[in-house]
Amino acid sequence: MTNEEFRMTKETRILNDEPAAAPARIHSSFVIRHSALLFLLVSLPVFAETPRPTLPLDQRTNGRDTLVAIEKLRPLTTACTARVESPLGRAICTATIVGEDGYVLTKASEVPDLAKTRVHFADGRKADLREVHRDTALDLVLAQAVGITGLRAVSFGAARPLTMGQWLCSVANSAKETRIGIVSAKPRRIPGTGAALGIRMAEKADEATKGVRIIGIASESPAEAAGLHEGDVILAIAGELVDQFRRVHDLVNKRQPGDIVDVRFLRHEKEETCRVRLASRTKVLQNWEGEDFANGGISLRSDNFPQILQHDIPLFPADMGGPVATLEGKVVGINIARVDRVTTFALPVEAFWTDAQLWIKADRHPPKAVLAE
Amino acid sequence: MHPLCSSFARRAATALVVLQTVAGYSLAAGGSEKGPVPKADIATLLRVQSDVQKLLPQVRPALVAIQSGGGTASGVIISADGLLLTAAHVPGAPGKDMRVILEDGSVTTAKSLGLDKTTDAALGQLKARTKPWPFVNLSREVVKAQPGEWCFALGHPGGFDKARGPVLRVGKIIKQTANSLHTDCVLMGGDSGGPLFNFNGEVIGIHSQIWEGRDQNVHVSMAPFLRSWDAMQKSQVIRVWGVGSGGYLGVATVMSDDVELEVADVIDGSPAQKAGVRMGDVILSVNGDAMTDQQQFTATVRARAAGDTLKIKLRTSGKERELSVQLAQRPEEEEGQ
Repeated sequence: MTNEEFRMTKETRILNDEPAAAPARIHSSFVIRHSALLFLLVSLPVFAETPRPTLPLDQRTNGRDTLVAIEKLRPLTTACTARVESPLGRAICTATIVGEDGYVLTKASEVPDLAKTRVHFADGRKADLREVHRDTALDLVLAQAVGITGLRAVSFGAARPLTMGQWLCSVANSAKETRIGIVSAKPRRIPGTGAALGIRMAEKADEATKGVRIIGIASESPAEAAGLHEGDVILAIAGELVDQFRRVHDLVNKRQPGDIVDVRFLRHEKEETCRVRLASRTKVLQNWEGEDFANGGISLRSDNFPQILQHDIPLFPADMGGPVATLEGKVVGINIARVDRVTTFALPVEAFWTDAQLWIKADRHPPKAVLAE
Repeated sequence: MHPLCSSFARRAATALVVLQTVAGYSLAAGGSEKGPVPKADIATLLRVQSDVQKLLPQVRPALVAIQSGGGTASGVIISADGLLLTAAHVPGAPGKDMRVILEDGSVTTAKSLGLDKTTDAALGQLKARTKPWPFVNLSREVVKAQPGEWCFALGHPGGFDKARGPVLRVGKIIKQTANSLHTDCVLMGGDSGGPLFNFNGEVIGIHSQIWEGRDQNVHVSMAPFLRSWDAMQKSQVIRVWGVGSGGYLGVATVMSDDVELEVADVIDGSPAQKAGVRMGDVILSVNGDAMTDQQQFTATVRARAAGDTLKIKLRTSGKERELSVQLAQRPEEEEGQ
């Protein structure tokens, strides 16, 4: 009972009825086995002696020759999508166009501050984004590209009739390409596990400083990304003083993945401050040692959704916020989280579109009766 | 305790590097082949979809989740009396108890039978029940499967999750080796032991390994399962590639001055010692076949499974005699016949 991450670890242990800590679960008895390595080494000469035909890249499930099948859908997919990028042009996430006058939806936790982003449309136009409405429960943000009109909005279709094994296509690679995959599991609610920094903390408060000492940092965690080190002593989180690990845990856990908190800490007797962008507790714990077998990373927030549609389209975290459509070109959802090597979650259209239309309407037609004082 | 992450990750990294080299080689080979390139259209994709959706309800009940040795994996039932296919690294050894979860969440147990450690194939047996088990057939013609054919994978990636259910992947066969199929059905931990199906709804592979690329998913093909079926049903462990189960006799031989096969050593406690083979004996024949050199003798013994009985003709101090020896499991790290 020494640290922030304890609770989740214990839960996982009970759920899986296994004696060791959480990170082992995901890799279970797969892949990373001594025997696997031996097998590979033994197999090498076999490969070399008897070359066998290999399917060229172009002919694979997401190769060029297969994807020509959905080329006709481009006006309904990539053309209705934009790329959200940093001022320097780095892709942050993807936006789905929902109004010809510049309205777009994207993944909220990827863009905590829209003022620091630009939107880049398929026709080459770029614009600033004005935040219209942010919905934390759905992890969606509605924004308007400033001064942009004449866009093509997606055409939505119902997600409820989708069945397992049905083809879907998604916009990928900074809104430039499309990829196919299938509905791969049951639609469902994804419970939340809270946010985490990715640190282990000393059980007892630091005598001299009355802070909480960091005794371990998870690889590729929010804490590591923010530059926190083992041995740093946390003094305050979001302006609130902390003197025991439980307090740190409570302050962090009540926030959402993607939220930014200021952490004041002591290093070599000098006070410093850093900003940390929190991630899903599940993500941090499963990847404590940094073994990211998603091959391309997973989203900061990958849980706590009221309803999702699961598919196996090979995407990356920066593709989130983009549309997922049927082979008729009807958009049935917005990709909301890259979860692991085999899983992407999309918010089905029924989960957000009624609300989103109201947000757009309210923004286009603000109430007129309010008079200035 | 099962091995945990840090040392694990390093090992995995080594494996990945090794494999990337191979992948690069194969891709180059594939890319240089020019032939008619079949392009897909929506109709092709929709046909794939309707086939998968028709087969899914038939094959899904045979998929199981397996909890064994602290890890979670998958498996598939292939007979009404509850024979189970999985990957050898799931149970790790014969006679292991495995907790098995069916699609509806009901829990039962299974025991591992034999396994082929050289190819990662394993057989298990579900606890007997009066009602027949839901099962799928396995393909006996997997060697005919060609790169480019569509296939689909089922499994419980990350472990059993009732709300989510089994996870489906649809993809293509990328290549076939003597013992494995490679596909772009993307797999991850927990899928191990789960089935890969062809479009007749037959099992063609069992999920085994992944490498770093999303197209690098390896399944044990049915070929080694069929080859080693009898040995695996007898709960034997196959450790030596290509020479059967490597039955264990427990003698070391030399070629004598008279160019005869002479017993140089008999290992304590081995089947040979128990049957009365002694140092200095000359081996004349095994099951009626004259033994003329060490390689022939080695191959003859290793071609037999543990549990098989050999009739060995010997000459001891000028007198010929015959004895029967029942071969045992080869002890780990032990050489000699």
